[in-house]
Order: sequence, then structure tokens, then C-alpha cells
Amino acid sequence: MAEPAYQRLTRDRIAQQFGVVAVPRVSLWLGSDHLLLVEHSGFTETYKRFYFRDIQAITVRGTPRQTIWNGVLALPLAIGLIGFMISAAPTRNPPATIFWAIFSVIFLLPFIVNNVRGPACVCQLRTAVQIENLGSVSRVRQARKVLDKIRPLIAAAQGQLAPEEVSLRLRAIAPGAKPQEPEPPPGSPPVLA
Amino acid sequence: MTASPLIACPKCRAWLLDDVFNREEMKPCPACGTPLRIEVFPALFREAVSGPSAQPVMIEGESSCFFHPQKKAVVPCGGCGRFLCALCDCEFGAQHFCPACLEAGKSKGKIKALENERSRYDSIALGLAVLPIVFFYFTIVTAPVALYVAIRYWNKSHSLVHATRIRLVLALILSLLQIGGWGAFFIYLATRK
Repeated sequence: MAEPAYQRLTRDRIAQQFGVVAVPRVSLWLGSDHLLLVEHSGFTETYKRFYFRDIQAITVRGTPRQTIWNGVLALPLAIGLIGFMISAAPTRNPPATIFWAIFSVIFLLPFIVNNVRGPACVCQLRTAVQIENLGSVSRVRQARKVLDKIRPLIAAAQGQLAPEEVSLRLRAIAPGAKPQEPEPPPGSPPVLA
Repeated sequence: MTASPLIACPKCRAWLLDDVFNREEMKPCPACGTPLRIEVFPALFREAVSGPSAQPVMIEGESSCFFHPQKKAVVPCGGCGRFLCALCDCEFGAQHFCPACLEAGKSKGKIKALENERSRYDSIALGLAVLPIVFFYFTIVTAPVALYVAIRYWNKSHSLVHATRIRLVLALILSLLQIGGWGAFFIYLATRK
């Protein structure tokens, strides 16, 4: 049997859990009829398949991680820039200037990357039997790209639901919600309770 | 299990009924305000279907299931050819297997779509070739082992998603260099006067 070809959807990303020997990394791949979640841990790869026909929902939740990282990086970056400006002042202290420049760049690069990547999120995929965290989808823009790619494929396997239709169906089965009764045809006699 | 088709906010666990489903942009959760985007597909509302039940043999001489002689055979196993009743028939794609063949296919990696773990022998070989360089004396043992692993598993498929042999090639080159280095060192010791 020929192995299926997979198209990469997300790059490897460290899973949000601790590893003893090696830190596990996860990535998401697109197969012909399924999504493949690959977890690399040291010298093994673990696979989870989510067939398009089984996917019930994909949830993207915004998180404040980008803001938190900005806060964490901004303080040493500010200190580094102030140190750089002071050491580069007319008195001139080249070794100190180089030190503060390197110090600033160490924090400036992740600061820029954090902001270029945009707002952070947590992405979950739901099937009838599980809710799986897609750990490698960590930014809203990335989640949008992934959804744009897989939504037509899932729709081809299952069909599509309009936003209003989803709300109607959920309201019909929500606890305490009254099922909607069909409207009587015009001219029909009134129904007695 | 996610038996209920209702969807809760991943943060505050409040049931979501409107607004956030199948929208292009993120919308705030009505309860906690967390930005959400939820793609819902028709599988969420699909009723669970109960599996077929096996029919008893009605006529003498009628083909019966290998595992349940009292039950009527409906299909032969695609792996071993045994007759199977509706209960033992494991339909996988377009193929039918008995539970034993399905388990064997999974454990021996014959059915690729069931494979959920692989050892990365290419990473093992590269690790054996690279990591001991820090403690150079170990390479007298690890270099031949890395060479053996690289040759032994050259034709074995390494990853479902990475089809390249670059790690094996690097492991081969590095281990050969290390072995060559040790060889040169021993020749030097032997010829030194």
C-alpha cells in the first residue's frame, strides 16, 4: 500500500506539557481524507488521525499570551535600550555600547516575532468521542489559514451549515429551550390547546 | 466522550447558542467575553447509528461465521479469508477484516491508516553519530553502532510525513568520519616509534 502524501499545515511547535527525556513537539498535516496530528518525542512519532467525516467542530479561543509575552519582553528591552543610549552618548564607552546593543537585540527579536505573528489562540478539534488540542495552531492568523484550507474539505465530506441553522438546531436541543413549532399554513383552522 | 451536541465556551464552560458559529471573524463569548471562532459541521448533529446484529443460521449447510458457528456469514475477511458474521465484520474503508487481522495489520504496520506510532531510526542513527561528539571517547563505540543502524534501517520507512533520508546520510558520513579518525589514530599509535 502506497503511503499517503501529506501536506504540512503547521510547523513543529513544543507541546504544552513537560517531557522527561525530550520535549515533545507537535505539527499538523493535511491528508487526502483526514488531518494528521504528529507528536515527535525524541526518537518516536505518534500519529492521531481526524477524518473529515468525523470532525464535529473546530474551536479557536483567543488568549492573552501575546500581551503577556510583550510585557515580559518589554521590560528588559527597555532597560537594554536605555543602557544602549546612555553608553552611546557623547562620553563614548564602546564595550558597554556593544554589550547593551547585544542585550537589546536578544529581547528585541522575540518581541518583533511575537508581534508579527499576531494575537495568540488555543485551537481545539471536536469529534464524537474526543476534544483534542491542536497544540501547533497557536496564533489566530495561523488558525484562520488552517481553517480556510480544511473547511472546504470537511464541507465536501459532510456538507455545510449556515450560522443561523447552527443556532436554530442548538436552541432546539438546549436544556430548557422549547422546540420550535412549525407555523400553520395560512387559512388553516386555529389549533386548540 | 462528547455525547451532547451542545458546545460550551472553552473558558467559562457556558453553553453557546448564537453568534459565534461559522463566522469569518472572532466573536466574544456572551458570558465571559473571550474571543471565539467556532466552526460547526453537520457531524455534530448526526445521530449515533447502532451496528448491525448477526443473524442466526436458518438453513442447515448455510455458511456460518468462523468465530460464531451459530451466526450467518455475510462476508469473507480480506486478510485471512475466513467467513465473518455481521458482528465480526470490521469494515475499514472498502475492505472487510476479522478482528484478528485488523489487530495484526495494526501491530505489524501492514495497514498504514491504523499505524499510530513509528520509531525514527534515522533520528536514532543521527543522534548516535552527533551527540557523543561532546564526549569524544564514546564515539569509538557509538560510531559503529550509528553506522549499523543507518545501514540496517536504510530501506525502512522512517516517518509518515518526512520522506527524506538526509538524517541517515548525515549519520553515515559522520560515523564513517569518526571510524576513519579512530582508524588513523590506531595506525598512528601502531607505527609510532
